[in-house]
Order: sequence, then C-alpha cells, then structure tokens
Amino acid sequence: MEDIEIINLWKSYDKKLEENLMLNKRNAEDITKMKVKSFLTSMTPLKVFTILIGILWIGFVDILMINLWSVASPFFLISAAILVLLNKLSIFIYLYQLILIHQVDISDPILATQEKLANLRSSTLWIARLLFLQLPVWTTFYLSETMFENGHIVFYIVQGILTFTFAYLAFWLFFNITYENRGKKWFRLIFNGKEWSPVMRSMELLSQIDEYRMENITANKNANL
Amino acid sequence: MKRDAQNFLTVIGSNKGIIYKVANSYCKDEENRKDLIQEIIIQLWLSFDKYDETYKLSTWMYRIALNVSISFYRKEHRRNEINQPLPDGILYLHEEHTGELNTEIDQLHQFIKELKEIDRAVILLYLEGNNQQEIAEILGLTMTNVSTKVSRIKQQLKEKFLTLKK
Repeated sequence: MEDIEIINLWKSYDKKLEENLMLNKRNAEDITKMKVKSFLTSMTPLKVFTILIGILWIGFVDILMINLWSVASPFFLISAAILVLLNKLSIFIYLYQLILIHQVDISDPILATQEKLANLRSSTLWIARLLFLQLPVWTTFYLSETMFENGHIVFYIVQGILTFTFAYLAFWLFFNITYENRGKKWFRLIFNGKEWSPVMRSMELLSQIDEYRMENITANKNANL
Repeated sequence: MKRDAQNFLTVIGSNKGIIYKVANSYCKDEENRKDLIQEIIIQLWLSFDKYDETYKLSTWMYRIALNVSISFYRKEHRRNEINQPLPDGILYLHEEHTGELNTEIDQLHQFIKELKEIDRAVILLYLEGNNQQEIAEILGLTMTNVSTKVSRIKQQLKEKFLTLKK
C-alpha cells in the first residue's frame, strides 16, 4: 500500500466519523459543573500525608537517638542512624515527586510532559530500593555488647547468618531492582501487584523518549554539519 | 481563553473528532475508551482558561488528548470508582453506522495500535494532516526528527500491509 492510499484510507475514516460521531452536550456540560480534580492534583494529598508521617517517624527516631545517646548500645545507635538516613532519602524522593507534579503541564509538548510523568512514576522504584536497603538494620538494632560477651556460639551463628543474609539481600536488591531486570522471575514476583504496572510502563516509555532524544541530538548535529 | 462552559462545549463540539481519534488509537476496549474520552474532556476543561492563543486550538487539544492517552490512562483505577460518578457516553458513534467501517481501516487501526506510544502519536498527527512544524510543536521535537520518524513509521505500515497481502 502506498502513502497516498494510507492517507486516503484515513480520510475515508475521518469522513465516516464526521458523519456519525455525536457529542452528548448534556453529559459534556455536566463535567463543567462538577468539582473535578486532575489526576495529578489528586495525587498530592497522599504524597503530602506520606511525607508528614515520614517526618514524624524520623523525628521520633531522632529524638530517641538523642535521648538515649549516652546509654544506648552502639548497635542501636548505628542501626537507627542508618534507618533515619534512608527514610530521609525516601522523603526527598517524595518531595521530588511533589515538585514534578507541580511542574507538569498537561498542555505542554508530549515528550517533555511524558518525561516528567514517567520520571514521577519510575522514581517510586527508588523508594522500593531504599526500603529494601533498611532490611539489615532490623536484625541489629536490638543487639548489645553484653549479648556478645555472654553469648553462646549458637547465638553468634544464628545472628551472623541472619544479618549477613539480610544485608546481602538488601544490597543485591538495591543494585538489581532496575528496569533492565523487569523480565526476571524474582522481579515479577516482587512487583507483581497492579500498582506496579504503571511504574514499569513508565520506564518503558522513558526508554522510548531517550531514543527520540538521541535521534534529535543526531539530527541537530547533522543539520549543523 | 475565558472558562465559559458554552464556549468550551462549542470548542469540544467542533473538534470532537480529535478527541475520539486519539482515544481510539490508544484504547481498544470500548468501555475503557469511554473513560479515556471522559478523562480527556476533564483535562481539557481544567486547562481551558490556560489555553495559550499563540498556538492553534488544535495544537492545544492534541497535546492534552495525547498526554492524557499516553500516560494518565495507565491508572489502574477508573476515576468513577475512586472519585465521584461522572457522566458516561460523552462521544458516541451512531449504532447503525459503526459496522460500516471497512476491513482496511480496521487493519490500519490495528497496525497503528501495534506501534510504540510516541510513534503512534507521530503517525496519528501525520495522518490527521498536520504539517511537520505542527507535529514538531505538538510533540516537542525538531522538524528533521519528525521527518525521519514519519518516513520510518510509514515504511513500517507499508510493510505490515504488504505482509498481510502475501
């Protein structure tokens, strides 16, 4: 089929639509009377709520650390410090998402808007990576020097295996939760839920946008030569 | 543009084809397409007073319709379920005529739907008769890039039709 045939085919479809497509004015008018929010704006309250809960949680652990600084075991203090640091990073990601939500204008050019939206969704994967990175500290915060001084060999072995396994798993997941691994079985097992499919598709879209950007750069270079 | 409901309805009425064709290119399922059309109209209404008159009205509509279709519709929940009930069936085809759409058009639609999201937008805008500058403005690309992409996608479509004939 030639170009002109494809165009004519589209034109015939267009003509049929022109003749048969009807607008239900009453239903369209109803929308203008409703207090509807855009999907992006409706995402804001949940993000703000999560940030507030996060700040409260971080504040609580920070206060605990400050008050127990002289009496708490170094294991607790280090574990809590790591936990707080990772949670602070997660809050920064949520703040970044809020900024992106604020910046997105749905009437902007497609590539720029889609890039912001895809970045917004795919940054959720970073939150998952940071959450997994917290795993080992939950196996160390309760330890104390006396436990080691009076501990039994079985305790050392069990504790060692537990902490090592969690740390290995946490780092492994942190470095391997990437878009490139999306097809792997373990990945699909973790990100199985419906809520993750928009994130995955956004990352796929980001790679399409990258292709376009690269071609744009090449086209510009060629034009300047 | 003043956010006046009557003015908005006139704009929607005279450009309903844009909304329908974009939604139809990104959504196969009829029920979901209704939701998508509804969502595009909501976004158009919400952005109506921010419309920048330095651009053509169709540029503004294509941008919103495409942005909503490509991304917003990935939501797993329907707006109706999470928000308030909204009117159904804003745009519809006359029942007795829908069967008339012939096989070749259906095939063209099928081939377009098989393209990647952004490629789909490029070919849709091309088939709609937009020139390279307009396509570049809507998508945010250079004209050279648009021209390369259009010829590449057209070639893909031709090959698909050719395979079909064999």
